[in-house]
Amino acid sequence: MKPPLLAQSLLMAVAGPNEAEYIAGDLEEEFAMIREARGSAAARRWYAWQVARSVCALLQLRVRTGELTQVMLIASLGVGAPLLLLDRLWQFVYSQIPLKDGLHRAPEFLAFNAFCVCACAAILGAWAGSKWPGSKRSGSKWSASKGLGSKSRAVALAFAAMIAVLAALWAGSANTPGAYVVCLSLAVPASALLTFAWRKSR
Amino acid sequence: MSKGDTLGEFEHLTLLAVFRLGDDAYGMRVRREIAERTKRDVTIGAVYTTLDRLAAKGLLKSTLSDPTPERGGRAKRSFRVTGLGIASLNRARQELGSMLEGIAFPLSGGAR
Repeated sequence: MKPPLLAQSLLMAVAGPNEAEYIAGDLEEEFAMIREARGSAAARRWYAWQVARSVCALLQLRVRTGELTQVMLIASLGVGAPLLLLDRLWQFVYSQIPLKDGLHRAPEFLAFNAFCVCACAAILGAWAGSKWPGSKRSGSKWSASKGLGSKSRAVALAFAAMIAVLAALWAGSANTPGAYVVCLSLAVPASALLTFAWRKSR
Repeated sequence: MSKGDTLGEFEHLTLLAVFRLGDDAYGMRVRREIAERTKRDVTIGAVYTTLDRLAAKGLLKSTLSDPTPERGGRAKRSFRVTGLGIASLNRARQELGSMLEGIAFPLSGGAR
C-alpha cells in the first residue's frame, strides 16, 4: 500500500529535490506506522493532510535554500525577458507605420511570439533535463545537487515559466487577446516539460 | 545578544526535541516527539523549516544517511545539537527560570 499519488506528487513539486527526498522518506515511514495502527484509509488521509498543510512551509524552505529564487530568475530571463523584448520590438515596428500605433497585433506577430517563447521554454526544459547549477547556501549542510534531472525541478521550472509569461504579458502591450494569453500560459510550461521528458529519456 | 540569536517558542521546542532524541533525531521523530509531549498537531513542513533555520543559526548540525528500504529507498537527514545550541538552551532555561521565580502556579484568572 503506497501513499496517495497526488499528495506525493504535490510534495515532490513543492519541496526542493534534495528536501523532497528525506521529507518523503519521513512521511513514508510514519505512513507505514499509521497504516498498521489505524488502517490504510486513515494513513492515506493523514499523509494527504500532512502534505496539504506543509505546502506553505515547504515553499518557504525552498525560498530559504535559494532554489525557488534561482528557478524564478532562470524562467524570467529565459522566457519572460524574450517575450517582453519581442513585444517591445513589435511596438516599435507598429509605431513606425502610420495609423498602426497602439492597435492589436496581427495574428502573425502573436504566432511568432508564441513560437519563439515556446522554443525558449523548450531549450530551458532540455537544459533542465541534463544539467542544473547546484543550490548553495551558508549555515547548513545540504546534500549535493543531483544535476537536475529531478521531476520536482522540472515542474517548478514549468510553473515559473508560466508565471514569467503572465508577468511579461502584463508588463507588455495592453491589447493582448485573452485566447493568446491562455494559449501561451499553457504552451510554454508544456514545452518545457516535454523537452525535459525527452532529454531524460535519452 | 542580537535579536537573531533569540529562540522563538517553536524553535525552542524543536531544539529540545532534537536534544532529547540524541542520535535518533530526524524530521519524523522530532515531529512525533513535539506532538506527543505538547499535544500539538505539528506538520512535517513546519518542523523542517524550523530545523533548517536552527541549522542556519549554527545551533544544529545535519548529516544525510544512506537510503533504507523501510523508508521507500529514501535517505534520512539526521540532526544533532551543536555546542552553540546547548549554550542557547542553557541560556533560555536560565532566563525562563529567572522570570518564573516567585510566581506560584497554576495562576488564577486564566481562560477556561
